[in-house]
Amino acid sequence: MFFRLLMESFRRQRRRKMLAGIAILLGTTAVTAMLALATTIGDRIHKELAVYGANIVVYPKADLLAVKVGGVDVKPASGGAYLKESDLEKLKTIFWANNITGISPELDWKGNASRQADPELFSPIKDLAGKAHFVLDKNHLPSPEALATTPALVKGLWFDHSFGGLRTGAPQLHPWWHLRGSWPVMSKGIAETTEAVIGEKFADKLSLKVGDTFTVMTPSLYKASLSNTFSVTGIVSTGDGTDDLVLIPLQYAQFLVGREDTVSRVDISARTKPEDAFARVDPDSLPPKQREIWYCRPYANSIAYQIREAIPGAQAEQVRRVEQSEGNVLKRISGLMWLISAAALLAAGFAVSAAMATAILERRGEIGLMRSLGASKGSIALLFYAEAGLLALIAGTLGYLLGSGLAAWLGARIFAGDGGVAESVLIPVLLPVVVALALIVAIAGSTPSIRTALRMEPSAILRADA
Amino acid sequence: MVNLSLFGMLRRSLVHRRARSVSALVAMTVSAGVATALLTLYADLDAKLHKEFRSFGANVVVTGPASAPLRPDALARVQEAAGPDAVAAEFAYAVATTDTGTPVVVAGTDFAAVKRLDSWWQVDAWPEASAMDVALLGQRAAQFVGNEHAVALTYAGHTATVNGAGRIKTGGDEDSRIYMPLAAFTRWTGVGPSVIELQVPGGAAKVEATMTRLRQDFPEMQIQPVRQLVEGESKIVDRTHALMYGAVILIALTVAVSVLATLSASVLERRRDFALMKALGGSQVQLMGMFLMETLVLALAGVAVGFVVGSAAAWAISEGNFHTATLPHLSVLPLVLLLNVVIAAMAALFPARVLRGLQPAALLKGE
Repeated sequence: MFFRLLMESFRRQRRRKMLAGIAILLGTTAVTAMLALATTIGDRIHKELAVYGANIVVYPKADLLAVKVGGVDVKPASGGAYLKESDLEKLKTIFWANNITGISPELDWKGNASRQADPELFSPIKDLAGKAHFVLDKNHLPSPEALATTPALVKGLWFDHSFGGLRTGAPQLHPWWHLRGSWPVMSKGIAETTEAVIGEKFADKLSLKVGDTFTVMTPSLYKASLSNTFSVTGIVSTGDGTDDLVLIPLQYAQFLVGREDTVSRVDISARTKPEDAFARVDPDSLPPKQREIWYCRPYANSIAYQIREAIPGAQAEQVRRVEQSEGNVLKRISGLMWLISAAALLAAGFAVSAAMATAILERRGEIGLMRSLGASKGSIALLFYAEAGLLALIAGTLGYLLGSGLAAWLGARIFAGDGGVAESVLIPVLLPVVVALALIVAIAGSTPSIRTALRMEPSAILRADA
Repeated sequence: MVNLSLFGMLRRSLVHRRARSVSALVAMTVSAGVATALLTLYADLDAKLHKEFRSFGANVVVTGPASAPLRPDALARVQEAAGPDAVAAEFAYAVATTDTGTPVVVAGTDFAAVKRLDSWWQVDAWPEASAMDVALLGQRAAQFVGNEHAVALTYAGHTATVNGAGRIKTGGDEDSRIYMPLAAFTRWTGVGPSVIELQVPGGAAKVEATMTRLRQDFPEMQIQPVRQLVEGESKIVDRTHALMYGAVILIALTVAVSVLATLSASVLERRRDFALMKALGGSQVQLMGMFLMETLVLALAGVAVGFVVGSAAAWAISEGNFHTATLPHLSVLPLVLLLNVVIAAMAALFPARVLRGLQPAALLKGE
């Protein structure tokens, strides 16, 4: 009997049910969409904030003091300490390895560049790796001054390097670099020239354009009369010191100065949790249990700590300008989203309970009739609550699906074009949350009207309605 | 028979069905309140976000021609050209030798300005503004210094001894430098400031405009944007703006439709009144006007209460999130009013249209 009443009520009062249902549906849609966006906003904004570059920097602990003004090395250190490139593999094993979104190691050295020297002075030889180099023919050796015209800072970098499942490198960590041409690729097999990208100021100095070639002599190998020819595949404009550099693939830079497997600095971009008071404590001063918690939170400090542990001789630091400010912005934007979600929740709650109240209020006649036919207050209340609950369940689930779709669509539209694939925003955890909220709101919203209707004399209700 | 005026009918209708009036009023208040809160936040969003981005520090760098020192009044003139909101700090650099024989970059600057400009610097203790022979040591530079409290620095044969007041930790180039007050620095090295770091609040367009003005005023200086900051800021503010826009539309729509459903249900329920009035000789227009008036009164009351509640909510949200208050914006009122009136009109007219075709007699008989 109870179920028949319930079913018939849904079958016959379709319009009334529709109204309350639509209110619940829209409410849950909005709430789901906002919650789904709020939970994923952190990752999305982090991706956006990646334009500020690395937030962790790794350098050799024993390195000499950098003498840099305005991003330009005033006195490039000769010698100094290096890290091993092969040690970078260990970054995949640290606790927060999955939070590392980009790695860009570099090795720089100073050489002397000139426009393509007279090729007859050089004769190509192959090195052990099978690469061709031009060697100065010692019989025709001109004075070094005639060849070495402009000091050139050469920087070896990763370009679209495969690191685990990640394609990463300098261009990914420096989205503000504008390139004309293409990034260099490591030539496989014998090549007479190395592909290089040059900064725009350097290009002006040597009046080079894409497709031109030039040579750079390295100080350490100058004695061996080994030089190298670079072909310009692209000209990069960065707005900082990199405009004066020659950028070549890292492996090549290592080879040219005879420092295989070394890097002088690594920039790392990692997803981090904004710093709070706990993040700033020294982990070694904490009791083991607290230290464990500190270690297992993705603070920039703990990731840096883990990198120090993983790579021998490395000093890892958070880049405070990026990290602190990013944390700030991230906190504000996601805070805003959460607060707006809360506002959406509140508004949807009000709207739904108002709709439910109206729906019950309309049916006072029914209540009066049922009471006069001898139904107990409890069973009437149960019927109405069951109706509200069923409605909330159905409309809430639909609203969840609709809201998830909406969040995915909104997210894809707003954050389109940063290489991020539009990931699905179907968050299973939200389903019970949203449906439970819909249930609570629907039942809470109908309670006052049910109570009022039940308190009235059945005869009075029926008479008023007649 | 008492002669009922329109106003009297309205009042009685609202008072007599108090429960229904209250629930409709709550619905209208919620819709007005939500619209007010969201629009108020939305109106202030860009300014608030740009303010947050100020923590990234300088976004424009002004350097003298070919590393020559800047003119003595350069800072004041740049500050004047960039407007009072901009934060500017000047820097002078020299490569000196520490007491352990290591070359180190020593920078002279105004600590008070740097403290405002570079909020990310982690400094144990900022030195007193008046102190002359104090310095901040970069955490890496400090390792190359013999005695932190009496750092002997040599530049071009002149030696200066400074007291390291604290350490700087930034993770950037600053870690390898020693900072000291500009006046002391210039007296020691004879080198004047060569770089002004400028922080222009606002997005790319504003920074660009300020740079153009600076270039006109100071053709001899190099004026360069810190590109990643200028580009990134606009991008993120735009994205957040769009996100907020989507949220505002979504929530406003939800609330509007729910309110519409509630209101029209309560109007629809009154078909008996409708039929009775029609049977007593009311014309269709009169009846529609009656319903319209009733919902409009509720809508206006809803706007009045909702604006206050919504402004308070916006104030609370921005106080809680951005730690700055958002004052009520009267400019959002017309839009909120429009939204509520449209909802009310639709809620009144939609059921009235449905009821138009009904025969009063049939309705009154209960069919």
